[in-house]
Amino acid sequence: MSIPILKLYNYLLISIQTEIDDKTAIQFQEDLLDKIHKTGATGVVIDLTSVEIIDSFIAKVLGDVITMSDLMGAKVVLTGIQPAVAITLIDLGIHMQKVATALDLEQGLIKLYQELGV
Amino acid sequence: MNSKLIQIAIENSDTIVQMWLEKIDSLKVDKFSSSTSDELFENTNREFVNVIFTSIKQQGSLIEVVAFSEKIITLGWPLSYITDGLQMFRRVTIDFILSNSDQVDTSFFSELLTSVDRWVEPIIHQLINEYTGSWEHILSIQRIALQELSAPLIPVTDGITIMPLIGTIDTERAKLIMENLLEGAIKHNSEVVLIDITGVPVVDTMVAHHIIQAAEAVRLIGATCILVGIRPEIAQTIVNLGIDLTNLPTKSSLKKGFTSALEITNRKIVDLKPKEDGIEEMIKSLQGE
Amino acid sequence: MSPHSCVKIRKEWDIVSARQLGREMAKKLGFSTVDQARIATAVSELARNIYLYAEEGQICFEVFETIERKGLRMGAFDTGPGITDISQVMQDGYTTSGGLGAGLPGVKRLMDEFDIQSEIGQGTQIKTVKWVR
Ligand SMILES: Nc1ncnc2c1ncn2[C@@H]1O[C@H](COP(=O)(O)OP(=O)(O)OP(=O)(O)O)[C@@H](O)[C@H]1O
Ligand SMILES: [Mg+2]
Repeated sequence: MSIPILKLYNYLLISIQTEIDDKTAIQFQEDLLDKIHKTGATGVVIDLTSVEIIDSFIAKVLGDVITMSDLMGAKVVLTGIQPAVAITLIDLGIHMQKVATALDLEQGLIKLYQELGV
Repeated sequence: MNSKLIQIAIENSDTIVQMWLEKIDSLKVDKFSSSTSDELFENTNREFVNVIFTSIKQQGSLIEVVAFSEKIITLGWPLSYITDGLQMFRRVTIDFILSNSDQVDTSFFSELLTSVDRWVEPIIHQLINEYTGSWEHILSIQRIALQELSAPLIPVTDGITIMPLIGTIDTERAKLIMENLLEGAIKHNSEVVLIDITGVPVVDTMVAHHIIQAAEAVRLIGATCILVGIRPEIAQTIVNLGIDLTNLPTKSSLKKGFTSALEITNRKIVDLKPKEDGIEEMIKSLQGE
Repeated sequence: MSPHSCVKIRKEWDIVSARQLGREMAKKLGFSTVDQARIATAVSELARNIYLYAEEGQICFEVFETIERKGLRMGAFDTGPGITDISQVMQDGYTTSGGLGAGLPGVKRLMDEFDIQSEIGQGTQIKTVKWVR
């Protein structure tokens, strides 16, 4: 199972629709970095509206991929994190303080464009 | 034997009802307010005793009992009216049958008790169930009302929502507040959420901790949280306790918080007409121009 | 569903099955969506720890009711290497696998009750409870 990555001008859009298991997560990390490399994208929006659970492992993979993308010159915004997911992340002590977030995909794109200037 | 007793009870129902009605009248004095009219009381009593007899006649059917209990519950009559009434019915019926039987031995006596119990018990059960059901219902409604009351969320304008916190915050309430806050922020599509703690009497480390967590969760869902209504004494305790709120934007008043919420959402409040213009216009109109 | 069910943890995919069962039971018991997510996340953490550090074990669920309240018991049992210093692994950020070290202290916060017992060479037992609010 792999997660589709769409390209829109110099942005990459990802909407995660399936329950993420560990393999899918690692695969996604590789795919995304590959795609950034190939397209030279400067911004990435990962939409998590349909994701019902993020445990410490998935959180680490997400955090890592954001740092790695940053190193490659692409800013990442996470969007659509559900209340239940946000609360469990806080309980886990995972605050993702450096990660940019937005309410939905559209706001995420606006954030990349206006605030992060990419 | 049971059916024979049922027959006796039914054949003499007029007498039993009369005996019962006399007894139940004594309840009115101590259990009911004067607002219950005698007429209503008497009619309901008659209905009650009819319901009991119908149930006995129909071999314990409870259909009419349910309808009757609904009525009593709506009238708001005490549960003891029902239980006392049924106890009286039990006593009156047993007395009546005993005093009208020629040979009374222990086995007859015990069978009589068993039979009458068998008529009355299901009715008592049913009525108590109906009553407690209605209490539980009321209780759950009140609980929900209280929950809503304890963490209201006000969408003031597009993208800006205010949550005024009032009263003491314990762990249980803090969880509720966090959930309401996040779900509300998403429902109203709020870019900025203002948490107003003007009404929170004490901010100790625990409360501060919960507020910080809520603010961080708000950030994760993609909105911004501003803490407003920080009174001087609250600011003092926060610093004295060594609570770090540096990651959380704060404002002293709701008004200031609202202004920065507007800034964040790229808006501002403008006067449609400058004040001086307004005064000039007024003077002109007074001069009749 | 029986009130007592277990999921064996041997493969990575078992982690997903365990948390799905946890969520399903939580839902049936009437937990709020947030608490369902808390339970599923806690299951995921404990199941992954078994998979990573003990190789084999199981996650068990049990519904239980007292007069005043209802709850879900969730336990993680393995026969792995055990944990030497429990207070150390309960600290935020402690990890031996390059993880976030958020799992165990996180589960303690996600659930209402938490008890951990471990013996070197024998295995680890973690018992947790979440009460329906
Ligand atoms: N079942 C177990 N058996 C043996 N050791 C364990 C077990 N569970 C946890 N540990 C040890 O405790 C440490 C802390 O576990 P914890 O789940 O808190 O963090 P982690 O697994 O390292 O990272 P994360 O869960 O954040 O991805 C682990 O690194 C491991 O050394
Ligand atoms: Mg772990």
